[in-house]
Amino acid sequence: MSAVEVHEIRRVFTPRKREPVTALESVSLTIPIGEVHGLLGPNGAGKTTLVKILSTVLLPTGGSARVLGHDVVDEAAAVRPQIGIVFGGERGLYWRLTGRQNLEYWGALYKLSRSEIKHRSAQLIERVGLSERADERVETYSRGMKQRLHLARGLIGDAKVLFLDEPTTGMDPLAAREFRALIGELRGEGRTILLATHDMAEAEALCDRVTLIDRGVILATESPRTLGRVISRFQRIDVEGADDGLLARIAALPGVSSVAPADVGVRIEVAEEGVTSDVLKLLVDSGVTSVRTSLPSLEEVYVQLIGDRGLQV
Amino acid sequence: MRAFRAGVWLELQIIRSSPDTLIPFFTAPLFTIIFLMIVRNGGRHDLQPDALMAPVLMTLWWFALFHGGNLVTGDRWQGVLEWILAAPSSLATVILGRIASIMTIGLVGFFEVWAVGRLMFGVSIPFEHPLALALTLLVTVFAMAGTAVAFAALFVLTRNSYTFANSSSFPFYVLGGVFVPIALLPGWIQPVTKGVFMSWSSDLLRSSLKPAPIDNEWGRLGMVLLLGTLSFLLGRIVLFYVLRRMRTTGELATA
Amino acid sequence: MQHAFRAGIADYRAIWTWRSWVLGWMVRVIAQVSFFGLIGLRVSDERAAFYLLIGNALAVAAQTGVFSLNMTSSERWAGTLPLLVASPTSPVVVFSSRGAYLAVDGALSALGALFIAGPAFGLDLPWPRVLAVIPLTGVVAIASYCFGTFLAGLVFRFREINSLVVLVGYVGLMTVCGVNVPLSYYPAALEWISRFLPLTNGLLAIRGVFEGAPWSTILGDVALEAAVAVGWMTAALLSFNRLASRGRLDGSLDYGA
Repeated sequence: MSAVEVHEIRRVFTPRKREPVTALESVSLTIPIGEVHGLLGPNGAGKTTLVKILSTVLLPTGGSARVLGHDVVDEAAAVRPQIGIVFGGERGLYWRLTGRQNLEYWGALYKLSRSEIKHRSAQLIERVGLSERADERVETYSRGMKQRLHLARGLIGDAKVLFLDEPTTGMDPLAAREFRALIGELRGEGRTILLATHDMAEAEALCDRVTLIDRGVILATESPRTLGRVISRFQRIDVEGADDGLLARIAALPGVSSVAPADVGVRIEVAEEGVTSDVLKLLVDSGVTSVRTSLPSLEEVYVQLIGDRGLQV
Repeated sequence: MRAFRAGVWLELQIIRSSPDTLIPFFTAPLFTIIFLMIVRNGGRHDLQPDALMAPVLMTLWWFALFHGGNLVTGDRWQGVLEWILAAPSSLATVILGRIASIMTIGLVGFFEVWAVGRLMFGVSIPFEHPLALALTLLVTVFAMAGTAVAFAALFVLTRNSYTFANSSSFPFYVLGGVFVPIALLPGWIQPVTKGVFMSWSSDLLRSSLKPAPIDNEWGRLGMVLLLGTLSFLLGRIVLFYVLRRMRTTGELATA
Repeated sequence: MQHAFRAGIADYRAIWTWRSWVLGWMVRVIAQVSFFGLIGLRVSDERAAFYLLIGNALAVAAQTGVFSLNMTSSERWAGTLPLLVASPTSPVVVFSSRGAYLAVDGALSALGALFIAGPAFGLDLPWPRVLAVIPLTGVVAIASYCFGTFLAGLVFRFREINSLVVLVGYVGLMTVCGVNVPLSYYPAALEWISRFLPLTNGLLAIRGVFEGAPWSTILGDVALEAAVAVGWMTAALLSFNRLASRGRLDGSLDYGA
C-alpha cells in the first residue's frame, strides 16, 4: 500500500460567467509510505488544487486518488483522521482567538481527549517557537507566526500523511531553516510528507523525490539530484568586455544555445552539461575577467522544458 | 459528542472575545421599555406580560438568525471552513454545538427583560404556570436552534446573507405573533402563521403568564417541537447539499 | 462632491439591487411599521394604531440615518481615510456627500412605509395637506444622518463596537423621541433632552400635518428639526477635524485592528 496514489486525476473549474479552467489534467502520482515528496511548480500550476483533492476538501472532476488505501471521494471519513494539512496564509485561523485556543479547538476536532489536547498543544507551541505569544490573539500575529501556527495545527492530529502547501512563505530565513529541521524530524518519525512549493532550493534540500508540475500537467518526477543536473544544463554566463570576435567563437562552440545582448554586456546560454567550463576557459584565456554564472529560475526552466517537449535526462 | 463539545467551547470563546455578538442584550432593555411604555400609556396593564415576552423572543430570534445564521458563512470568510471539513469531526455536529451555546446564552435575555421591567417600571408578574413557562421556553429555544441550523445552511447559498437576515426579523415577528397574537391578524394570513413555530410558542408563553388554565398545552408544545425538528432536518439536508456543492465547485474558500 | 455622491451610490448598489431593496428591505420596513400598528390595535384602537404607525414610519428614516456610521468606519477600514484626509477637500464634505444617499434612502423608506402601511390600517391621508409630509420626512432623514455622522466620529477608533452603537443608537431614538408615546409621557428632563435629538421635532411636525395643526406650529417644529441637523453636523465637523489632526499626530488614521 502506498501513502498516496493518484490516478489520472482531472479537475476543471467552471467559474460564473467565465470560460472553464482546467487546473489538473490527467495527473498520476504514487508516493510510498515514509517518503518526503516535493510538488514543485510555479503559481497556478495546480499544486494547491491537487493537495485540496487529496485532503478531501475538493472533489475531482475525473480520475481517482487514494490516501493510505482509502478513496478520497468515497471514503473521505476514513482519510481525514490520518492526514494533517498545513496551508499557509493570513486566513484559516480564528483571528479573535489566541493561538493556543485555535490549536486546542483543532485538537478537539481531531477527537483528542481533553488532557491530550492540553498536552499536545503545549508541546507543539513549544516546537514551533510560539511559546511567548501563544496566549495572544491571532490578529496580532505576524505572517510568519501565523505560518508557524498553521504548522502546529497540521501536526495536532499526529497525522501519518502530511500535506504542506508553501509552508515557509512569510517565514524569515532562520525560522525557515528550523522548519526544515522539523521536516527532517517528521520524516524520521515515519510520516509521509507531500510538500508543495515553488522554492527549488527547498525542494532539493528536503525531498526524496520531486514532481515538476506546470499548468495542471506533470512534467516529470525525479530525485532532486537529477533535477539539479538537468537545471545545470541550462546555466547562463553573463559577460562584459568581450569583443565580437570572441563572442562569435563562443557562439560556434557545440552546446552553446545563444549569445545575446543583455541589460549589461552579453548573456551566453548553454544547453548541455560540461559546456560551461569550455566557455569559461575561452573567456579567461582571452583576458575577460568580468564573468558571472547563474542558474535559470524555475519558470525559465519550465519554459525550456516545455520547449523541449519533456525532460531529457 | 466531542465535536459537539468542541463547538460549544469554541462559540463561548468567540463570544467572550467579541463584544458585538451580544448586541441583543443591549437592545432588549430598550425594546422592553418601549413596549411597556406603550401598554402603560394605553392603560392596559393586563398586557404587561405580553410586553415582556416580546423582547425575550426577539432576543432569542436575533441570536438564532444573525449569529447562528452566519456560522458557516463566517467560517468561510475567515478561511477556516475548508479545514474544518477536512478534519475528522462532523461539521454539522460542530455547528450544532455552536448553536446550542448561542441559544443557551440567549436565554439570559429572559432574566434581563424581567429585571428591566421590575427595576424601571416596578412590574411584577407572577409565574402562574411555571412549568409550562419553562417547558415552552426550552422547546422554543430548541426550535430556534433548528431554525438557526437551517439559516446557517441557507445563508451560504444566498449571495448577500446580511440583507436576507435583515429582512427576516420584523416579518417574522408579525407572522410569529411575537407581541400581537396571530388571531388578530387578517384571515388570509392565518394559514401561513400556523407553519411558523413562533406563533405557537408566543401564544403558549403568554398563556403561561395568565391565571386561566392553559388550553391543550401538550398539543401545542408538540407542535413547536415538531416544527423545530422539521427545521433541524431541513437545515441538516441543506447543509449536506451545500457542503457537497462547495466541494464540487471549489467554493469552500471563497464565495 | 458629485463624485462622492456617485461613489456612495455605487457602494450602495453593491449591497442592494432594486429587487432586493423592494423585496427584502421594504418588506421588512413595512413589517416593522405594521408590527407596531398591530400593537396599537391590540392596546386600544385605530387612533393608537395610527399614532404608532406614523411614529415608527419616521423612525425608519432615523434608522437609516444612523446607519451612516457604518460607512465611515468601512472607509477607514478600506484604508482610504488617510488618503481622504490628505486630499484638498474637507473630509466632512466628502462624507456628507458620500452618505447623502442614505438620507434619501431613509426618507424614501419612511414614506413608502407610511403610504403603504398607513392606508392598509385605514389611516386617512388628508390630501393635499399630506404632501407636506414628504419634505418634512426629508428633514428628519437629514437630521438623523447628521447625527449618524457625528456618532461615526465618536466610535472612529473602536471599530468593534460599530454595530453596537448603530443598533443602540436607533433603538434609543425609537425609545426617547416620542415615536411610541407622547413626549408628555416622559419625565421632564428626558423630554427636554429628546428635543436635541433628531426625529423628535420633525415627528411632531408630521403628526401636526395629520391632526390638522396650524401651519405656524408645524413650521416651528420643522425649524427646530433643521436646527438640530445643523447642530449635529457642526459637532461632526469639529469632531472629524480633531480626529484628523490627532490622527496625523499619532498615526491612528491608518486601518488596523
